[in-house]
Amino acid sequence: MEFVAKLAEGFMSLFSAGGETFMGWVTGIIPTLVCLMTAVNSIIKLVGVEKVERFAQKITKYAVLRYTLLPLMAVFFLGNPMCYTFGRFCEEKYKPAYYDAAVSFVHPITGLFPHANAGELFVWLGIAQGLQEAGLSTGGLAVRYFIVGLIVILIRGLLTERIYAGMIKNK
Amino acid sequence: MYKTIKINAGDGGWGGPLTITPTDKCFTVLSVTGGGIHPVAAKIAELTGGEAVDGWKTTLPDDEVMVAVVDCGGTARCGVYPKKGIFTVNLMPSGATGPLAQFITPEIYVSGVKEKDIEVLGDAPEVAAAPAAAAAVADKGPKTKDEAKAEIAAANEGKKQGFVVRLGKGVGAVVSKFFQAGRDTIDMVIKNILPFMAFTSTILGIISASGLGNVIANTIAPLAGSLPGMLVICFICSLPFLSPILGPGAVIAQIVGTLLGAQFAVGAIPAKYALPALFAIDGQVGGDFVPVGLSLGEAEPETIEYGVPAVLFSRMVTGPLAVLIAFAFSVGLY
Repeated sequence: MEFVAKLAEGFMSLFSAGGETFMGWVTGIIPTLVCLMTAVNSIIKLVGVEKVERFAQKITKYAVLRYTLLPLMAVFFLGNPMCYTFGRFCEEKYKPAYYDAAVSFVHPITGLFPHANAGELFVWLGIAQGLQEAGLSTGGLAVRYFIVGLIVILIRGLLTERIYAGMIKNK
Repeated sequence: MYKTIKINAGDGGWGGPLTITPTDKCFTVLSVTGGGIHPVAAKIAELTGGEAVDGWKTTLPDDEVMVAVVDCGGTARCGVYPKKGIFTVNLMPSGATGPLAQFITPEIYVSGVKEKDIEVLGDAPEVAAAPAAAAAVADKGPKTKDEAKAEIAAANEGKKQGFVVRLGKGVGAVVSKFFQAGRDTIDMVIKNILPFMAFTSTILGIISASGLGNVIANTIAPLAGSLPGMLVICFICSLPFLSPILGPGAVIAQIVGTLLGAQFAVGAIPAKYALPALFAIDGQVGGDFVPVGLSLGEAEPETIEYGVPAVLFSRMVTGPLAVLIAFAFSVGLY
């Protein structure tokens, strides 16, 4: 009898640990996240996607902006997965490179702007939560994640553009 | 001779049943399932008398796609095709979730489908297929809205509105946008964030309470807690034959991120590796989504054919490179 009770207790302890983690996330993450996401979503609705699109069309011809500002705007205003539709503003030969840049930014942006890809927050939050538990602040890390993200997508865009051009030439 | 088929939801699936009839223009089954033509797509093509194509190699105008077969865990692909008004068959049992959940309805979407869930109803009658009808409805929608706007404009002509009325309308418009933003946010929390938290915290709880956590800390943490180790992880994740498998919904990256987070929390991995780790676990990002992402950007079929390998090969270089850049940028952080 005692053995069965122990077994049941052990079984329940597997899930009470999970429950504590869950409670911590719900109270620690969601309240701020909800307010931040609501604020940013409101701004996006007030600005209007048409204005962003008009601006986006103008900057696709500059290589540096095409793989930094354009994906940043697309991910910020449209989120994942509609941000890839901004590829239609790019010339055909730049589309794979633009996609690569945009998709590589859907996680680095979540440190500062979680609304942009709220379905996949835990790439960032998983690690950030761990650091907070260790008593470290994550603000600086979020900013650096964002900046390094921009540098990386620029490199990805430029390199993928070259690789694609090479493949088309040798087809 | 084309045949009408019925596709039912499979075990644990959602939506449907879909009744699909091919036409002379619209008879293609687009298989967007991580490369190759999935048996379910092949079965649909065989039963209807249509043709199955690999969405990774080619793309089609939307009005020629009879049905899209996807294997989406619930973020992106499962909503993209319903949004375009294309019948969507999901092999995974996902319901109406993801940022595009509002477009996922039982009339156009069915999930958890296996080969046995497809049945033949009979020969195709001489009527236009439903997607064409759906397109017609979509065409009609904005027009009536424009007409309505025109009517309102006509009605308002000649009546100059007073300042108070205009102010009231302006405030009303702003408030309604804020309210809608709040609704979108809560939807997102309930449909995507909370379910992920539920499932990840359960796994984490089991791992930590059962002692598996210590095993992970002793075996994986030393590997992940060094620059060469991270470069290896990132390189493996970005191998072109692995990245499309590891990509979907960023589920793998999120779980690994949370597991690593637990190691950062106990100090098994030094905090200075946090930034490189964020890039190391994400070398595969979007590798599963290249053809769909490109078609969202209205790319030509040829661009998709050569664009997919271009992106995947580029990752083998830029993945580890990103880890190095992140490592350099970590100087002075913790």
